[in-house]
Amino acid sequence: MIEKSIIRKQRMLLIVFSFLILATAVIGLGLGYSSVSYDRILPTILGQGEFKEEFVLFSVRLPRIVITLLAGMALALSGALLQGITRNELADPGIIGINSGAGVAVAIFFLYFPAEAGTFIYVLPLVAFIGALLTAVIIYLFSYSRTTGMEPVRLVLVGVGMSMALSGAMVVMISSADRIKVDFIARWLAGGIWGTDWPFVLAILPWLVVLIPFALMKANRLNILGLGEPVAIGVGLSVQKERIVLTLAAVALAASAVSVTGGISFIGLMAPHIARTLVGPRHQLFLPLSLLVGGWLLLIADTIGRNIIEPNGLPAGVMVALIGAPYFIYLLTKK
Amino acid sequence: MVRLQAKDLQIRYADRTIVENLSVSIPDEKITVIIGPNGCGKSTLLKAMTRIIPHQKGSVVLDGESIVKEPTKRLAQKIAVLPQTPESAGALTVGELVSYGRFPHQNRFGRLTKKDLEMIDWALEVTGTKFFKSHPVDSLSGGQRQRVWIALALAQETDMIFLDEPTTYLDMAHQLEILELLQQLNVTEKRTIVMVLHDLNHAARFADYIIGMKFGKIVKSGPSEEIITKPVLRELFQIDAEIGEDPRTGKPICITYNLVRGD
Repeated sequence: MIEKSIIRKQRMLLIVFSFLILATAVIGLGLGYSSVSYDRILPTILGQGEFKEEFVLFSVRLPRIVITLLAGMALALSGALLQGITRNELADPGIIGINSGAGVAVAIFFLYFPAEAGTFIYVLPLVAFIGALLTAVIIYLFSYSRTTGMEPVRLVLVGVGMSMALSGAMVVMISSADRIKVDFIARWLAGGIWGTDWPFVLAILPWLVVLIPFALMKANRLNILGLGEPVAIGVGLSVQKERIVLTLAAVALAASAVSVTGGISFIGLMAPHIARTLVGPRHQLFLPLSLLVGGWLLLIADTIGRNIIEPNGLPAGVMVALIGAPYFIYLLTKK
Repeated sequence: MVRLQAKDLQIRYADRTIVENLSVSIPDEKITVIIGPNGCGKSTLLKAMTRIIPHQKGSVVLDGESIVKEPTKRLAQKIAVLPQTPESAGALTVGELVSYGRFPHQNRFGRLTKKDLEMIDWALEVTGTKFFKSHPVDSLSGGQRQRVWIALALAQETDMIFLDEPTTYLDMAHQLEILELLQQLNVTEKRTIVMVLHDLNHAARFADYIIGMKFGKIVKSGPSEEIITKPVLRELFQIDAEIGEDPRTGKPICITYNLVRGD
């Protein structure tokens, strides 16, 4: 039923963004501290690099690129799903309080459960994930009413309120903590991608492997949800059930990403919006494109952020916000 | 045996009771029109009978089974609903929008079968919207768009079609076009049609059965001749109506009316 010309356009754009991702990754490899020079990248990948080159490429740079890409994809898909469920283009996992939920959990864990450095970094994503999920459940309970079910608008409002309350709690906790510990938490909140080792890929990849096909399978239902509740119920969509399942999927995606990267907002807002502008509102077309756009956006934000200020660079979350905040205002004024 | 019945229905929005203790049977294969003043609960009743909104007490039973218990997808194979002023369909084409009417008949992957495509074409054909199949819905005029939404309901291939004020925002000719289309579907395909209408003369002309509502209750129901009468209209709308006979259809017609003052 979809016009062939739009499908062709979408295929083209998928190729274009795949290429952009590849190009950004390659350029990023040759920039900054411990880089691999461009003419050595291919030989090193083929196993002919020196020890240092191999180490930098396989243990430092590649895992970071892969994590950044995956996290961007997860955030984009999460945002796209939330926007579909709430029928609000301004929905974003950061906005409905998931980042703050994860942030508070990280802060509590970091301040009050001193763990050994080795195990600590691997437990942290789990802690963030639990925090995000708990927050989502609380938001859900508050935005669910027995007479009207789950109202999307209330979900967003409760989320914003929740996110503010949690930020407040965070300030209280931080103000009574050590300098050094605060430093780590601050970096986490700013979204400096910190889980840059292969095991962290495992913290996020399974979610994507399961939830991307799941979301694509739900594409037509999301289209129908977009026609409004009465029409959707009328053609036999179990609106409540779909909303709950899709919200859970969106939370899981965002939580898995944020747990590894720290608090990153706006990707879930921008990527689906850009994709929708390019190929229109049909979910089967714009969801795959949002994945690539989201991955690319976060990758480029991280690449620029790492190289813009010596020596530590700007956290990717801050970079994204620098682009994302004006974009958000632009969307607001356009409405 | 009546297929669709509501019994002792109570419907509330938050703390406000809209419909109280209402029982009604929808005659099969007939056109039923619900009339009543603004806020009398006619749209609410229509939505509750099609499970668009929940009811708090009583029951709505279709084919001997409560519509709350029946899977919503299976219900959508029996009842199609056209809500009042549906949302904008955005950039979707007419063909795509109408294809969603096939959702209740599809499996989980949602491929359109040959049968689905035939039904979509048929729905576009009878509503006279086939020409617009690949046009965006938003580019159409109000009347065309309304017919596209009706095509969506038709593509659902149901025995019953519920419509909430299907003629709003349309000019006189387009209003008649829609109502004649529905009448034709009723006569040739034996579809049960239930709709909310504001125009009393349209109600009188097209309905086999009229339900007159006020304050969330049914004041009186029956054929046009029993409802479009001076006393019933006075009670329903507080109007003093002059009723005549339509020289073309023989149905009652409200020629002129005044507000009832005083008492």
